[in-house]
Amino acid sequence: MKIFRLLTPLLLTIVAVFCFAPAAWAFCGFYVAKADTKLYNKASQVVIARNGDRTVLTMANDYQGEVKDFAIVVPVPTVLQKDQVRVTEPTIIERLDAFSAPRLVEYFDPNPCPPLPIFSGIVNSSEGVINIDESETFTNPDLGVTVEASFNVDEYDIVILSAKESGGLETWLTQNGYKIPQGAKQLLQPYIRSSMKFFVAKVNLDKFEESGYQLLRPLQISYQSPKFMLPIRLGMINAKTEQDLIVYILSPQGEAQLTNYRTVKIPSNVNLPVFIKNEFGEFYKSLFQTAYTKEGKRVGFLEYAWDMGSCDPCAANPLTQEELKEAGVFWLNDNSLSKRGKVIPIKVIPSTVIPITVTPIPRFAPRAFNSNVFISRLHVRYTRDTFPEDLTFLQTANRELFQGRYILQYPFEGEVKCEAGKEYKRSLPKRFEQEAQTLARLTNGNIQDIRNKMKLSVGNLTYSWLENVQSWFGFD
Amino acid sequence: MLFKDIRDYQISFLGLFLVVGISTRDWTLRPDLIGVLIATCLITQSVLSFVISHWSLANNIDASGASCRVGQMTNNIDASAASRRVGQVTNLRSALITSLGLSLLLRADHWTTMVLAATSAIASKFLFKFGDKHFFNPGNFGIISALVLTSDAWVSPGQWGEEWWYALLFVGTGGMTLQRIGRWDTTAAFLGSYSLLEAIRNLWLGWTWDVYWHRLMSGSLLLFALFMITDPRSIPNSRIGRVIWAVCIAGLTFILRNYFFIPTAVFWALFILAPLSILIDILWLAPRFSWQKGNEGDEGDKGDEGELLLSTPNS
Repeated sequence: MKIFRLLTPLLLTIVAVFCFAPAAWAFCGFYVAKADTKLYNKASQVVIARNGDRTVLTMANDYQGEVKDFAIVVPVPTVLQKDQVRVTEPTIIERLDAFSAPRLVEYFDPNPCPPLPIFSGIVNSSEGVINIDESETFTNPDLGVTVEASFNVDEYDIVILSAKESGGLETWLTQNGYKIPQGAKQLLQPYIRSSMKFFVAKVNLDKFEESGYQLLRPLQISYQSPKFMLPIRLGMINAKTEQDLIVYILSPQGEAQLTNYRTVKIPSNVNLPVFIKNEFGEFYKSLFQTAYTKEGKRVGFLEYAWDMGSCDPCAANPLTQEELKEAGVFWLNDNSLSKRGKVIPIKVIPSTVIPITVTPIPRFAPRAFNSNVFISRLHVRYTRDTFPEDLTFLQTANRELFQGRYILQYPFEGEVKCEAGKEYKRSLPKRFEQEAQTLARLTNGNIQDIRNKMKLSVGNLTYSWLENVQSWFGFD
Repeated sequence: MLFKDIRDYQISFLGLFLVVGISTRDWTLRPDLIGVLIATCLITQSVLSFVISHWSLANNIDASGASCRVGQMTNNIDASAASRRVGQVTNLRSALITSLGLSLLLRADHWTTMVLAATSAIASKFLFKFGDKHFFNPGNFGIISALVLTSDAWVSPGQWGEEWWYALLFVGTGGMTLQRIGRWDTTAAFLGSYSLLEAIRNLWLGWTWDVYWHRLMSGSLLLFALFMITDPRSIPNSRIGRVIWAVCIAGLTFILRNYFFIPTAVFWALFILAPLSILIDILWLAPRFSWQKGNEGDEGDKGDEGELLLSTPNS
């Protein structure tokens, strides 16, 4: 009898572990929503694929005005020739964004969650038909500006300039029809003195109309240089407000980080009230703003660090080999690095709340394998005051997986009769309160508003007078 | 006993940084790897001290055995053993400092890399000696070994950010230690010449001065300047020598950082120029530094128990 008494809880534990634990550990919940870059009005996106000192940089244009007015001036470390520049499809950046976006996952939704977005797999591999103009090199001795190369790539007219002094460069650009903002001169000088060249692109309107594209497509440049940096100073000339920059760094090694600013992981793996499902985008925006303020506005946030061969949960399927190449990953052919079938452990902290009553419906998640492409998604919100220096990066060997992941845990709403079930019901208010406090802490929100909203979504919740008093005084 | 040795302060400061770093900074610090580092450093130090002291003891006996009376020889052995025990305790302090320094700076994916870093750091003290002095900074040697010999080690120069209160913390605690060991000249020479070079570059490039301050306020740079290049046991003995040496390191750091774009430039500069301290010591003769004032016998970093205390710091 004694043995039996001892055995029962043991057996129950084993059963519980076998029933629930694998589900909780193997799955990080079911992906339901993502907070992609569309949330931000002025988010620039840059993809940097880098191995050794070779870099492929893809710049997405979020240009808002008239296409004819579009022009960019980007300091680059080397003179670029026509074969180092191409135009890619915007879908590639959208794919990377979707794959790496902060995600909302849910457990035990009584309603089946929306199916995973099915990626068509079609890539418009535009091999950037390069129409070469007469590649001319001439020097304007008065201005000290040398046109190192001049060519067009699809709808873009491109010149690569080197300059001796910033005034000359500014004059040259103005004379050649580029609208240069006030104050550019001072900012161009340090790049000239650092022997950097200038990649200058504008739209060839005839070609643009011919092409039938509605939007400007991303430009992709490749070069060889030990400089692993991204110039952000020029972009700040006219900016009055904070600017968002998402950098996707693709590396054969591991996580990338900033070397001259702190890199901080975005708060992740927390349980939130279920009403967040309908306002996940807003939630993430205020979470980011809160974390950004809390860290003193001088940090870059890591939103995702993952092997490109897998995802769990998947906000979008991993990129195909062709898509990776399109995104600039040039080392795929170097060796047969795609070790499909080799399972790597996924180090994701399991949900803190152990599912109790409902078993999740297993859903397909792609197998984890080491693809030799590691993605780091860095989100930098910068202003002139907080980010004085251009960003420089470092690739590390850290292959620890990280994702911005937020969890909804739906309570069981059926009738309960057994003692354990009642206990579970009694435990719910505490859990909800915990979720409300987490949400208030992460978004700097009003806890009473959150509690009220929760009442609407999960029924009446009672709070002790002490908790109310605490919330009045801000002890969330 | 505790805090009589300056290294006890150093150990508590480095421990404090580690705690502050873990609690206020989002580091990928792994307690298991810190444990591995500390354990490996202590074990390597103990084993190598033991081996070398036995070896030198055996040599002593061989050399003196024929001519000495038995009683005298026993006395020699007793004295050696006693001084070795003292040496062991103080030796472990050095090893602990090295392991804390490595924990603060080095990151790796696997524990084997940490073992390699810790072992090479401590072993460098025994292997790379000129006369009775080791010339590589152990922590620095460990970092460079891990960076060169493995593929999974890295240093995150941005991890401390550039907040003023960190700078204050480092300068305050570092200043306290430097005051006691009398090596503030090294830090001043390094920071002074490095900031001068950066200022000239900033002026020439035409960046605004916030860029300059941002580059200088890096917590990692200050940590290096205050706690790594000031290790009195591996740097030149004479003041003039130290200043020249620190200026050289600043110059090389500047070149490596700005023209070779190496984010870990400071560590490379120190590593490359470490052997220069031998030459400087030959050119400018000065007594060697010892940690404990008036304590007979050198704690040594090896089995040099018989070494005489030549001077007190800064004398």
